[in-house]
Amino acid sequence: MITVEELEGKQAITWCTGCGNFGILAALKKAVIELGVPRHEILLVSGIGCSSKAPHYINLNMFHTLHGRAIPVATGAHLVNPDLKVIVNTGDGDGLGEGFSHYIHAARRNVNLAVFIHNNGVMGLTKGQFSPAAQRGYVSNTSPPPPGAPMWPINPVALAIAGGATYVARGFSGNQKDLVTLMVEAVQHKGFAVVDILQPCQTWNRKLTWKFYNERACSLQEEGHDPTNKMLALERSFEFGDKIPVGLFYRSKLPDLASGLALPKDGRLRDHETDRALLQQVVNDLTL
Amino acid sequence: MDFTINTGGQAGQGIDTIGDLISQVFIKTGFYIHVLKDFESRIRGGYNFNQIRVSDSPVYAATNKVDLIIAMTKDAIVEQRSRLTEGGVIIFDEGIEFDELESCHLSAPLEKMAKEVGGSTRMTNAAALGAALAVLQFPFKLVEDALTAKFERKGEKVVANNVAVAKALYDLTTEQFSGTCGQNLSSVKKGPSKDFLFINGNRALALGAMASNVKWISAYPMSPSTQVFQDIVSQAHKLNIGALQAEDELSAITMSLGASFAGARAFVTTSGGGFSLMVEALGLAASTETPIVIYNAQRPGPATGLPTRTEQSDLLFMVHASQGEFPRILLAPKGPVEGFEVATRAFNLADKFQVPVMILGDQYYADSMMNIPRFDVTGVNVDRGSIAAERPDPEYLRYKLTKDGVSPRAFPGDAGKTVVHSGNVHLENGHITENPDLRNAMVEKLMKKVPHILKTLNPPTIYGKKIADITLLTWGSTWGSVYEAISLLNAEGVSINQLHFCDVYPLRTTTLKTVFKKAKKVVAVEQNATSQFARLVRMETGLGVDHHINKYDGRQMTARWVMTQLRGAGIA
Repeated sequence: MITVEELEGKQAITWCTGCGNFGILAALKKAVIELGVPRHEILLVSGIGCSSKAPHYINLNMFHTLHGRAIPVATGAHLVNPDLKVIVNTGDGDGLGEGFSHYIHAARRNVNLAVFIHNNGVMGLTKGQFSPAAQRGYVSNTSPPPPGAPMWPINPVALAIAGGATYVARGFSGNQKDLVTLMVEAVQHKGFAVVDILQPCQTWNRKLTWKFYNERACSLQEEGHDPTNKMLALERSFEFGDKIPVGLFYRSKLPDLASGLALPKDGRLRDHETDRALLQQVVNDLTL
Repeated sequence: MDFTINTGGQAGQGIDTIGDLISQVFIKTGFYIHVLKDFESRIRGGYNFNQIRVSDSPVYAATNKVDLIIAMTKDAIVEQRSRLTEGGVIIFDEGIEFDELESCHLSAPLEKMAKEVGGSTRMTNAAALGAALAVLQFPFKLVEDALTAKFERKGEKVVANNVAVAKALYDLTTEQFSGTCGQNLSSVKKGPSKDFLFINGNRALALGAMASNVKWISAYPMSPSTQVFQDIVSQAHKLNIGALQAEDELSAITMSLGASFAGARAFVTTSGGGFSLMVEALGLAASTETPIVIYNAQRPGPATGLPTRTEQSDLLFMVHASQGEFPRILLAPKGPVEGFEVATRAFNLADKFQVPVMILGDQYYADSMMNIPRFDVTGVNVDRGSIAAERPDPEYLRYKLTKDGVSPRAFPGDAGKTVVHSGNVHLENGHITENPDLRNAMVEKLMKKVPHILKTLNPPTIYGKKIADITLLTWGSTWGSVYEAISLLNAEGVSINQLHFCDVYPLRTTTLKTVFKKAKKVVAVEQNATSQFARLVRMETGLGVDHHINKYDGRQMTARWVMTQLRGAGIA
């Protein structure tokens, strides 16, 4: 059992006061404890941005990679050691901009990762430019009015469902209890699991605020949503108005990527040694 | 004995099959083979050829001249005509409409006899073989033995059919061919070669990587590198290798970095365009000291360039790729024998120094085939470098500052250790820092590795006399053509040798400095337009070559071409 003390981060947190990421970090710590696995079996992989600093603030194995590249790095680590619980922390700029093709292809592969998108609709660390998840009309240094951001936001929930992900949820940084549950389920799910986490950027985003989400977030599960119904899940994923559905949209069971590769019996490529006698036979067969 | 056969036709017509069969017959009868593959970037049609050089002593390169052409299309009859030797012969199927007949032309019923005698036009290769060897007056008994040995595994019927078709064309051609071929092999006995592994550079690399316990490969297909990936994928189930075709090269290399981080030896294969995409992750590998081996099978660029042709034009790009400064290793094998050895060294170097190791091939290296001694994969040394002791260590530091700059590795999943990697400048524990002293310490940590790397790399090799008036400076796959050129010139009494590099970066300079002192003229010979290796030498030593010879039409230089250039410049 991991203790809170053991998870105490090695670095001072650099997020702004009131940042939505604090709620995500708190939930992540609770989820990791609730998972009940040894500390060394957890790996956090992140990209670049405020979201991706999270692993530095929790004492676990981690790889802080490049902008947008967390998912493929996590994929490689998972496939050579499937005993690891691999969690990706990414942002909307990171995972839905630079890394978007990796996101869709990882969904299609149903690779056994849990991806937590710290979604605040802005590029925070580079000082508030519009992100792929920014609302149309969002005004920033790179999206002056009229009209502000001249395009509509990407929909990570709908795209994950359409892409083939087998666990797709939306959480809210302000709702710890449900967020922890979704995180634990996502990690335990065998396949590609996404939790799109709504979280206000206090400094830059004047529209997607704590108040905005508190007034709109409504629980899918309380409404009795059926997460096995893919078309219904897809339909609900397009709701983003007076009500914003939060909770589990979709879950299904399909073979994961590892089951389709030539991994050793215990799955662990990292300790596997190639049988050289077999390889010598390959060479001998090539010989005329 | 040294002659060249060219088999030409459209993509999809079985040019490779004919070429392979002819090559295999000569290998089986004890001769040395070198096969050049020349093809267009298309699936069907066009004009492609295999150029097979056969010799009773080892050959490492193609020649300009062709003694015998087997043509499957009109293009193939015409295209190589100017390269045909005096007394050379062009054999083509009687079905091809071709009226400008010369005495060198021989129309033969290849497809017809394949069908009549062998029961299928798929036997056309055996028919072509029979016709070709009749023209050369090569003893049929040797052909028969070779075909029997080759098809033995497939059963008596296959052997009998192949022999019968070859014999039918052999006899028919002997009877009907009224010309004389410049090559008369009637008195040939079995040759001296016992080298029966018929292989190209790509396959040698794949085997070397697998022998080195590579456990992960992720790649995106790109000519001319793809065969390495395919070869490893084809053995993945037998040997338990994780192999995944990625959505792009960025994903390919970052997956590999994840795999390496988690403890497996990882490999990515690409060509220059794909490497361009990989560059940001090259920096991540360097910053996080995650071992990785990258193969770039070069082709002419920029952009799409010539997808199926050859060039050595990515050298300086690979030396400098990525923002920031860090050690890296570049190795450029000259052929399949060295390719296997380079692959095994590359993985050990990557683990030992925790730096990116890049293998530079090119289309000529990648696709050209020759017969070489069988590899022994069981004896390959696998050195994983410095690994932290297995016991739990809550104080484990992934980037512990050490004398030689190398810190013991641990892997996520190791009980009692926390492994932290970051592409940001980091502390010894892997977490972010912006402290200037630690920044210096971490830069110096990386740079400390360079002298140790230089000591571990192989020095260049001098071919020919140790000291000569003229030294030709080469690297990678051009070795064979240039080696042949200096051998021919030495035989003519010219004082010339060759200084050749496989381990191209970081550059070992001792031999270079001596050669520049002793030779009257140093000439860079490179398959590129800007003499990139010569520029690297000048950058590292201040020494400039006296003359440059460059070829950049996408076709590999030959010995005769090199000699013509030297003569044209008044050098030899």
